[in-house]
Amino acid sequence: MPETPARSFRLGVAGPVGTGKSSLIALLCRELSGELSMGVITNDIYTDEDAQFLRSAGVLDIERIRAVETGACPHTAIRDDVTPNLIAVEDLERDFAPLDIVIVESGGDNLTATFSPALVDAQIFVLDVAGGGDVARKGGPGIARADLLVVNKTDLGPYVDVDVARMIAEAGDAREGGPVLGLSKHDPVSIAALVDWVRQMTTTVAGGGHVPIDPGPMAPHSHLDSHGEPFTHTHPDEHEPGHAN
Amino acid sequence: MTSSPQLVLAMLADARLPTGSHAHSAGLEPAVMAGLSDQGRRLDEIPAFARSRLRTVTATEAGTAVVTRHQWLAGGSLSGVEDAWAARTPSAAVRAATRQLGRGYLRLAYGLWPEEMAAAFERGAVPPRPLVLGVIGAVTGLSSRQVAQLVGYDDVQTTASAALKLVPLDPIEAMRWVLQLHPDIDAMADDVERLTEPAEIPASGAPLLDEHAERHAVTTRRLFSA
Repeated sequence: MPETPARSFRLGVAGPVGTGKSSLIALLCRELSGELSMGVITNDIYTDEDAQFLRSAGVLDIERIRAVETGACPHTAIRDDVTPNLIAVEDLERDFAPLDIVIVESGGDNLTATFSPALVDAQIFVLDVAGGGDVARKGGPGIARADLLVVNKTDLGPYVDVDVARMIAEAGDAREGGPVLGLSKHDPVSIAALVDWVRQMTTTVAGGGHVPIDPGPMAPHSHLDSHGEPFTHTHPDEHEPGHAN
Repeated sequence: MTSSPQLVLAMLADARLPTGSHAHSAGLEPAVMAGLSDQGRRLDEIPAFARSRLRTVTATEAGTAVVTRHQWLAGGSLSGVEDAWAARTPSAAVRAATRQLGRGYLRLAYGLWPEEMAAAFERGAVPPRPLVLGVIGAVTGLSSRQVAQLVGYDDVQTTASAALKLVPLDPIEAMRWVLQLHPDIDAMADDVERLTEPAEIPASGAPLLDEHAERHAVTTRRLFSA
């Protein structure tokens, strides 16, 4: 490529509409912009409201927040054609060199949308308790294999009849022990844990100690076996023989 | 590396080509927002729109790509071609969108043909798409006619695909439009395939499309960038 300024840690934030991706990013900017040089890319579907929200939050220089238009295809823009996002990331890295971290917010999409490793080094997948306590258990590539799963708005559990502890435990099962973080903007301990994770990941990536993991398109999932008992498996490749049961 | 020009043409014309063009509608969304097709009640206005583009702005873009290809193969400079394109593209919004698309194609082309692209474009250059396509055509052995057809086909296909997101429409009907516009694409290619000099690039503008594009650039609610 013709432009090669210092490369930042590129962190993706994905998850369904309304789970709190923009607020999470605003929180990270507020907590970390004093110690890290940051940039943010938003992917809006119909407006640039996410970028405007972050700019109006006053947590980061507005020049460091840029919006990418996705042509009604938010999943395409982070997965199979990352061109506009990579151009935006490279522009930020050029204009504010050296940047420590660029956070790329996906357009709110469905449970199967994850970032291509060509675009980000690591990714956070965001769910919220208000979306239903069973969402984490159902799984999906982002839930199962993002670098960090955030279960947001834990303070709302009592109002939406969700057992938060159980939802987080089931998320842990879906991730086979991968990190799960319950987050509430009213819970300083949870905020500190999130900020610590991002801080440590920034250091790890900058030191070359992290290989991007692709959550992939297909999550482990369950079928009933011949005795009516569920069993969970993955598809290691497309040519696996039919589901034997 | 040798590659088949026909297959390069198919690859470049494939909607799955990663260049960021899925965020563009070839001016259709701006036109629909201004009343084209009356919210889908007069759908035949959309292929007519594509035909009008082939005769005006798309002929300019295709002519620019053809002349770029020729100039690059002849060892000439591309700056005169870029100036000629800009002079024939009066809308700043259209120029910005075309340069945005150019960056996407250039990013891909740098990955696939790094030495040739580095020789054609300076570091940090933001050329309009027809310049990038012209150079790609030159380095992959596309004929001038293939380059012109590619630009025409891409414009029609972009319009038809965007229509599926903007108006109520059967996808088969959209592809019928593309098929029925093949003679118009070829007629446009007939007109521009032999061009070699920047001064010959068609200057057949479409002022209403430019006005739509300018309005679209400042709207706060849109599916497509341009």
